[in-house]
Amino acid sequence: MKRNISTWSLLLPLALFVIAVLLKSPVSSQPDQIYILKEILIFGAILLSIPLIFHQKWASDRNVLRGLRQLFFFIFLTYFLLLFFRQSWPRSALTFNEPDYLALVLWSVYSFVFAMICIGILRNLIFIKRKRSTLRNFSVLLFFLVFYALLGVLNNQLDIPKEVVDSIHYFILFILLNLMVINSLRISWINYLNKKQKITLFWSGLFLIPFLIHLTVLYYQSSPIIHFSVVLDRFVNQSILLLTVYTSFALIGLLAHLPTAQLFDRKIRQIESMHNLSRAISTEFDLNKLVVLIVKLVSDVTESDFAWLELSDEKNRKLVLVSSRNLKEKEKRNREVFYHQQLIEFLSDQNEPYLVNQVSKDEHAKFLLAWKKDIGSVLIVPLYSVEKTVGFLYAAKRQEFAFEQDDIDMMRAFSEQVIVALENARLIKESIEKERLQQELLVARDAQMKLLPKSMPKLQNIQIDAICRTANEVGGDYYDFLSLDDHQLGVVIGDVSGKGPSAAFYMAEVKGIINALAKTQTSPAKILCQVNRTLYPNIERNQFISMIYGVLDVRERTFTFARAGHCPVYLASPLSNKVDILEPRGISLGLNSGPIFDKTIEERKISLNAGETLLLYTDGAIEARNKNGKEFGEERLIEGFLQYKEHSVSEIKLNLLNYIYKFVEDEKSFDDLTFILIQAAQKFTV
Amino acid sequence: MANFQVKRDDSDHYSVLRIGGFLDAHTAPQLEEAIQKLIDEERYNIIIDFKELNYISSAGLGVFMGFIENIRNNSGDIKMCGMNPKIYRVFDLLGFPSLYDIVNEEKEAVEKF
Repeated sequence: MKRNISTWSLLLPLALFVIAVLLKSPVSSQPDQIYILKEILIFGAILLSIPLIFHQKWASDRNVLRGLRQLFFFIFLTYFLLLFFRQSWPRSALTFNEPDYLALVLWSVYSFVFAMICIGILRNLIFIKRKRSTLRNFSVLLFFLVFYALLGVLNNQLDIPKEVVDSIHYFILFILLNLMVINSLRISWINYLNKKQKITLFWSGLFLIPFLIHLTVLYYQSSPIIHFSVVLDRFVNQSILLLTVYTSFALIGLLAHLPTAQLFDRKIRQIESMHNLSRAISTEFDLNKLVVLIVKLVSDVTESDFAWLELSDEKNRKLVLVSSRNLKEKEKRNREVFYHQQLIEFLSDQNEPYLVNQVSKDEHAKFLLAWKKDIGSVLIVPLYSVEKTVGFLYAAKRQEFAFEQDDIDMMRAFSEQVIVALENARLIKESIEKERLQQELLVARDAQMKLLPKSMPKLQNIQIDAICRTANEVGGDYYDFLSLDDHQLGVVIGDVSGKGPSAAFYMAEVKGIINALAKTQTSPAKILCQVNRTLYPNIERNQFISMIYGVLDVRERTFTFARAGHCPVYLASPLSNKVDILEPRGISLGLNSGPIFDKTIEERKISLNAGETLLLYTDGAIEARNKNGKEFGEERLIEGFLQYKEHSVSEIKLNLLNYIYKFVEDEKSFDDLTFILIQAAQKFTV
Repeated sequence: MANFQVKRDDSDHYSVLRIGGFLDAHTAPQLEEAIQKLIDEERYNIIIDFKELNYISSAGLGVFMGFIENIRNNSGDIKMCGMNPKIYRVFDLLGFPSLYDIVNEEKEAVEKF
């Protein structure tokens, strides 16, 4: 649809124009019907071409410079054409012959197209940052432009006194000139040019103006269009006048903008850098890339010769150069050697950007010269996060007094953004690491769970049950059963000091050692001695493992065990109202290389009578605390064990657990916990 | 958990670290730091006073194990005194009495050097 309109708006004026050309009536002092018809046709053609100004595509408002270049080219082309052919124009309509008439028509068409292009390009410039009044003002201008052209017909055709016609002319011309000025004030596109473009345009404009004025004068004086059509002649002349007025205003505008052009450029660049930084914060979480970007932006914002970023390193208590711009490798190496400790100490108490206009004369900043010799002025911004200074941002220039107040304000705002960006990146990194650690702990926990027996051993006349609860991801508790032969069962319970993946690792090691030894060695004390000797060289000095190893003989109904620093074994009998606490001597695994361990450890053998129950546990059971910080303790465990001793092993296990839960009130508030229960049947079957 | 405190008293031939509160995995580094400082100053005769200590975990016990070898190699020792029965029970279960001199009074500990 839109396409149709522009096709019509092109074809229709063309048709009218062609008819007018064919009417071939020269301008004369005698009113003539055909002449008037011709002028009216041309007027119609102009009027119908107006939409072209709004639809034309030869200068986009995105690219002001392209439109201006085209304008420049057309003006000079027209100027030289006019200059060149001026002499050969026919002086009066009476000298018309066929080739002259053709030349005249061609020139008229060319001038008209030129006028349309000029108005079109001007329209684009005028409409940049348009307001509501812009379209109105421009339309009114066009209206008067066309109306003034039409008035040309009045001149010599109607029977009106010359004075009246002249006054009307001047009045309309006055309005037209005013409108030209109003529209010429719309030169805000200059704001969007950078300094270089402004300077280029200014000089080009200055060069152009004399030619343009001459062109206008030439058109007024010696353009022959008037011999073809007065209306067209006036339209073209006024269009070129508009071009001249607008160009003059633009030139004045450019001149006014020149002094501030650099400042303006800077502001724009600063805003751009700020914008880039804001965008970086939301997209760049890789700390290494972020610091490079920050330094680049700092150097852009301040137009510095050098820029670098130093961040504090928790471990070294020394600032680390994380990113730099234009620093040589040698300077970076020298920085390590001639580290500016005194400057840092001074800066640490400052929260404000520190500007040094003459580095060599500043008592603090002069330390920088030890490794960076060619700096005249430096601006240092502390990066102050929550409660401590996390680093410093440096911008340096070769010249002295090269920074302005503006730079300080800018850098202050900039540093706040930088801190947020760095903090974000750090948090992200931390959370990724935490997640990875979590994942590792899950793997360790999985491994640990695989170390525990999958099912309870089934024995004749003896019931066994056990439970191991871990409070955290990876606990330090461990228990195991080893089938030694058809009537003997190895029982292990242990507790690795400390938690985490290393605990699981030691458990696996101990499990391996015991499995290997238990086949050949039957004495629990000797097995523990050997475990200790094997383990001692491999375990951290501040870690140890408490353990009980025992052998349950089903045929003899005995339990032979040794205790390596572990919690005692409780024995409850249906006949007695108290629990036997079995605590043979022995120190934990990993505390001593061997001599003291071997000397201390004691082996105990007890017999399991009908209905008697053994309880092995880890310290998590007695160290469970309630809200008031009170420990569950051995007494309560013994009490509970006595209370439930007649029950089956599974019931005792569950009841003891519930007993502890009830005491602490919150299941999550206790450590790892392990129970092993061994119970002899009431009646033995053979 | 309540806090942990460590206070240091130096005498001619020995130093006393008076510890109080809760000694567990979180507070153990404080004690480690205090002992490490004594070692750095080559004060190898150390007495730990447990009078004010309310709780000790296995990580807390590990602290003493971590240093004892170094201290004994420099002909020094860690002596312990003033444990309440609950704390002593923990040390006793793990077999520490056969590795360390654990006494009631500071005086006795000094005499052991």
